[in-house]
Amino acid sequence: MKGHIIKYARDNIDTDVIIPGQYLKIHDYAELATHAMEGLDPNFHSKVKDGDFILSGKNFGCGSSREHAPIALSHSGIKAVLALSFARIFYRNAVDGAFLLPIEIGEDAYNAISEGDEVNIDISKNEIKNITKNQTYGMKPFSEIIGKIIEAGGLFNYKPD
Amino acid sequence: MGKTLFEKIWDAHIVVEKQSGPSLIYIDRHLVHEVTSPQAFDGLRMNNRKVRRPDLTVATMDHNVPTTNRRLPILDQTSAIQIQTLAKNCKDFGIQLFDIASPNQGIVHVIGPQLGITLPGSTIVCGDSHTSTHGAFGALAFGIGTSEVEHVLASQTLWLEKPKPFEIRVEGKRKNPHAVTAKDIILSIIKNIGTGGGTGTVVEYRGEGITDLSMEQRMTICNMSIEAGARAGLIAPDEKTFDYLRGRKYTPKNYESLVDYWRETLKTDSDATFEKKYVLHIDDIAPQVSWGTNPGMTCDVTDSVPSPDDYSKGDQNQKKGAQKALEYMDLKPGTPITDIKVDRVFIGSCTNARLEDLIEASKVVKNRKVSPHVRAMVVPGSQMVKQQAEEMGLDKIFIDANFEWREAGCSMCLGMNPDILSPGERCASTSNRNFEGRQGTGGRTHLVSPVMAAAAAIEGHFVDVREMDLS
Repeated sequence: MKGHIIKYARDNIDTDVIIPGQYLKIHDYAELATHAMEGLDPNFHSKVKDGDFILSGKNFGCGSSREHAPIALSHSGIKAVLALSFARIFYRNAVDGAFLLPIEIGEDAYNAISEGDEVNIDISKNEIKNITKNQTYGMKPFSEIIGKIIEAGGLFNYKPD
Repeated sequence: MGKTLFEKIWDAHIVVEKQSGPSLIYIDRHLVHEVTSPQAFDGLRMNNRKVRRPDLTVATMDHNVPTTNRRLPILDQTSAIQIQTLAKNCKDFGIQLFDIASPNQGIVHVIGPQLGITLPGSTIVCGDSHTSTHGAFGALAFGIGTSEVEHVLASQTLWLEKPKPFEIRVEGKRKNPHAVTAKDIILSIIKNIGTGGGTGTVVEYRGEGITDLSMEQRMTICNMSIEAGARAGLIAPDEKTFDYLRGRKYTPKNYESLVDYWRETLKTDSDATFEKKYVLHIDDIAPQVSWGTNPGMTCDVTDSVPSPDDYSKGDQNQKKGAQKALEYMDLKPGTPITDIKVDRVFIGSCTNARLEDLIEASKVVKNRKVSPHVRAMVVPGSQMVKQQAEEMGLDKIFIDANFEWREAGCSMCLGMNPDILSPGERCASTSNRNFEGRQGTGGRTHLVSPVMAAAAAIEGHFVDVREMDLS
């Protein structure tokens, strides 16, 4: 999975800036996507390209249980969020609907990867390769169930053994 | 080895358990509202599924209902559609709904306990992060996303990885319990452990500082567990818990025998171990005011706005966060909190819109007037709270002071209905989140207790409510 990085170098990116409350009444996902990250970065919609990744700090997605948050990012083209840590509900929402991959990274990757870098994420090797900078970093492996839900394509396709 | 209260409730609800990985957990109560449920019902229809236990599922409308005259049609078309959709879904799937005309309508986390739907020892979920509120009754209660809502509707279960137990002890006694409230206790905890301090855990709040609290105050504590990143927060039930639920509309018929069982079982064993511990001493804590854009960015009312360096203690990301927060909040380091003027005051939300909150705030407001440049409103947490408050004459106290007295709903806590801040407006709010834009694009939120909000409304700026006569 290859894409370019959009970096928000801060902790605690909350669900209210990912998709502000006034848009939770929108049921059309394409329209919802036009408001993604609007609370933090009004230019997000114009700069995001299909296949991009977001890179951010600790506690990404804290706050509300709104599944609209990963949906809005996913329908903007975001395929994965790389963060130092995630808030639990955002993490589960991202996985349950197979909207995007929430990938936990270390300080090395967080500090080294810059806005616009092209990276390749290899889940089978738990490895992130920075093509622009020719560097490689590790990522935290997905736990067994999360891995299986992702493989199945979401919670409703997942069939326990 | 003994078990914690959380572990006992968890173990009692395991449907499937494996050697490693998640367990399938049974859900006793599912609360539903209009915003996070429509796609879940669509999913059921698409797959020809029914709601497995409509009798354990209850719905209300709270997030985007107008808090003005309910006899008028809803002007916002998208809100109207979402509200009509919930009504249709409840009808189609046989779910009990407290709609906008019901005397039982209100914020889902206010009406659950008021109706006796919330019970000790049960598992409770809702597509809303503040579901942790119900933990005040010794329930394991937590927020879920819409896919999980659909999963619970279809199966009455959830696949969950077991969180770790976290003990937060609150020790000591507050010198002035009218001025230093449950809100100040929980804001102090979040300030100290941080917004990620509870990640991956279920908090059990213990100690004299917790058992001293009323049920409504305990709900304020558990409500904000999620703001510390915790999965849930709970408090062992005691006689106050059992008294609160006795005789409510949906309290079970065999209640007394349940109480006997709960009294014996719903407590942490003396030899149980917690993964993590934190102790807060409350003898000398001050009323709290948030100055930044997450609930951890909070200080004493007697403090000044901190500098990013002082706040971050060397952490670069924290420093950047504080700089951005001060910019957004238009605050300068060193400004005394009591010099910060407010434009709006909101007394409401699932954190602080219960009867006791309104009673305490009314003591500040009585025989006084809202500062001429401030617009202040009270939005009761439920229509029942509103009615009880009106029977006590609280509405008159607020209205005489020039507060607006509204109908029940989430209102200005999250800016989904017309109750929003204008860009740049500064609000003293009894809600739970001071995120950027939470109360309206560009709006600036300061989290405080109901008495602190009421005092800010009267004086036009933050004041130390301990200096007011609240007897």
